Amino acid sequence: MSENTSYVELRHINKHYGDFHASKDINIRIPKGKLVALLGPSGSGKTTILRMIAGLEHPDSGEILIDGKVVNDVPGSDRGIGFVFQSYALFRYMTVYDNIAFGLRVKKTPEREIKERVSELMKLIGCEGLEKRYPSQLSGGQRQRVAFARALAPNPQILLLDEPFAAIDAKVRLELRTWLRDMITRIGITSIFVTHDQNEAIEVADEIIVTNLGRVEQTGTPSELYTDPATPFVVRFIGNSIPVKNYDRFQYFEERGKESAAILRPEFISIFKKGENVQYSKSAEEGVVEDIIFRGSNLEIRVRLHGNLLSAIRSINDPDIQVGETVDVFIHRLFVIDGEKVTMKYNQSLREESVII
Amino acid sequence: MELRKNSGPLKWCMITLVVVFLTMFLLLPLVYIVITALSKGIDTYISSITDVYAVKAAWLTIQATLWAVLVNTIFGIAAAWCLTKFAFKGKKIISTFIDLPVTVSPIIAGLIYVLTFGRQSFLYPILDGWGIQIIFAVPGIILATIFVTFPFISRELIPVLTAQGTDEEEAAALMGAGTFTIFRKVTLPHIKWALLYGIVLCTARAMGEFGAVSVLSGHLRGKTNTLPLYIELLYQGYDFTGAFAASSILVILAVVVLVLRLLLEHRGQKELDIHK
Repeated sequence: MSENTSYVELRHINKHYGDFHASKDINIRIPKGKLVALLGPSGSGKTTILRMIAGLEHPDSGEILIDGKVVNDVPGSDRGIGFVFQSYALFRYMTVYDNIAFGLRVKKTPEREIKERVSELMKLIGCEGLEKRYPSQLSGGQRQRVAFARALAPNPQILLLDEPFAAIDAKVRLELRTWLRDMITRIGITSIFVTHDQNEAIEVADEIIVTNLGRVEQTGTPSELYTDPATPFVVRFIGNSIPVKNYDRFQYFEERGKESAAILRPEFISIFKKGENVQYSKSAEEGVVEDIIFRGSNLEIRVRLHGNLLSAIRSINDPDIQVGETVDVFIHRLFVIDGEKVTMKYNQSLREESVII
Repeated sequence: MELRKNSGPLKWCMITLVVVFLTMFLLLPLVYIVITALSKGIDTYISSITDVYAVKAAWLTIQATLWAVLVNTIFGIAAAWCLTKFAFKGKKIISTFIDLPVTVSPIIAGLIYVLTFGRQSFLYPILDGWGIQIIFAVPGIILATIFVTFPFISRELIPVLTAQGTDEEEAAALMGAGTFTIFRKVTLPHIKWALLYGIVLCTARAMGEFGAVSVLSGHLRGKTNTLPLYIELLYQGYDFTGAFAASSILVILAVVVLVLRLLLEHRGQKELDIHK
């Protein structure tokens, strides 16, 4: 991210709650028009960052900039933001119409314009005809949409969303994710949302800011975080991780630093029935299947290799494997963690083979 | 569970017990009040309750009640608001202090004010200089009534406000609404029924207050006698008809309050169901 394009910027932000150091020297740059996720486990300080941008919390030190201006002393209502709360915080005693109109009425917008704007937004969120309902008479998904419309009504420059999908059941959540992504892309509003769900962040966000223990661990696109994790925390947090201590026991991964450990991912491992695959058969190792879990669209195979229980994915179209069967296990690559350093290591045989070819 | 079964002797035993208990301790005395009040005929009853001192006592009671409700509504909302919407040091202590009037005997409440505003207090010369008399005067009675009914409204509001959280207020504030707008549009609709219910409870308690008021009043007939004090005075003077006639006024007021309470609970519950 280059400096001149950043729209929201945090510089050396620190925040304490009593003795708890919630934000430790946070530096973030968010470009205009991007959809950015603040991803981290609970207590990692992601919501604090969002609330500071909104002006609901104030940093102890550091600067918050929006559109190049320091806004530390600007009240939240004058920062041009829309905020969607985790529990939506819809006004329970107001109808959907009044909820969406609230921000406009506060700004003394003429009632005729309010009417236009509300009906435009109701159309946008696909909730026409629900104007007279109360929030309690809406489904979870509808509430979320209304909260979204309410935040957008006064035409904010930035949209902030605190765990926008947390309160919705699994099926609707997937649907809403796509919907929200489309919506935000269509409007082109700079958006920041908080989540603890890596899948959500990866699917929805253009960029992800990974937080842990009050710090920013890494900022990058989902694929950057996936393929080039900067810290051991990011390796463990993004994707499924399988920790392995004695990775030097694996064939073609013999070199090993003194204190290092490795992290594997299911997608780094291929499992074949004996004789199923010729390409890797020479360089594969034998392991015993301990468990098979049916995952609907695929199978998770758990296999024991050098004392480690590894998980790999197999398609349901592949030849059947039974529990107790001896299979060929091929490890394509793994992340080596040495203190705070992360390096990707490839299976040596891949290089040898490519040399031969 | 066996206990929950909607039949059997246990159920009937319990119901009988409750009915007998209520009859003995509530219904019978209430009926007795009415009978005694009317024992010397309806004319005596009417002249008893229209007695100039009785009317004055009733008026003073209503006055004290109105003041108590007014002051405690303002205080109660403020206290509940600050205890639920803000985080600050000493919150627990304030919360505990609000409950003090419930745990302290009303007599002590009365004595506290006698000591604070009486002749031996350093405040007395100052107040006297301004011509304000508190002890053995109407202001003292109002003060005592406010004191004993102090926690009623805030205690009703605190749970409601806690359950609501601060999200809706924050949302409104972020959209640029001022404190007063937020209170009127967001908070007040939410606490409306709890507030009315608190006011009803406060009214009931204020009307019946005896102990603290008794200490502060000085029992000046027609001046500082509230209805409960007046009843006691008549009773001590062996004017049973008068005492019970005056009591019946309080009983009627209590019934009105009770009915109001039922209505409010019902309406409040209904609205709560809609906006859950």
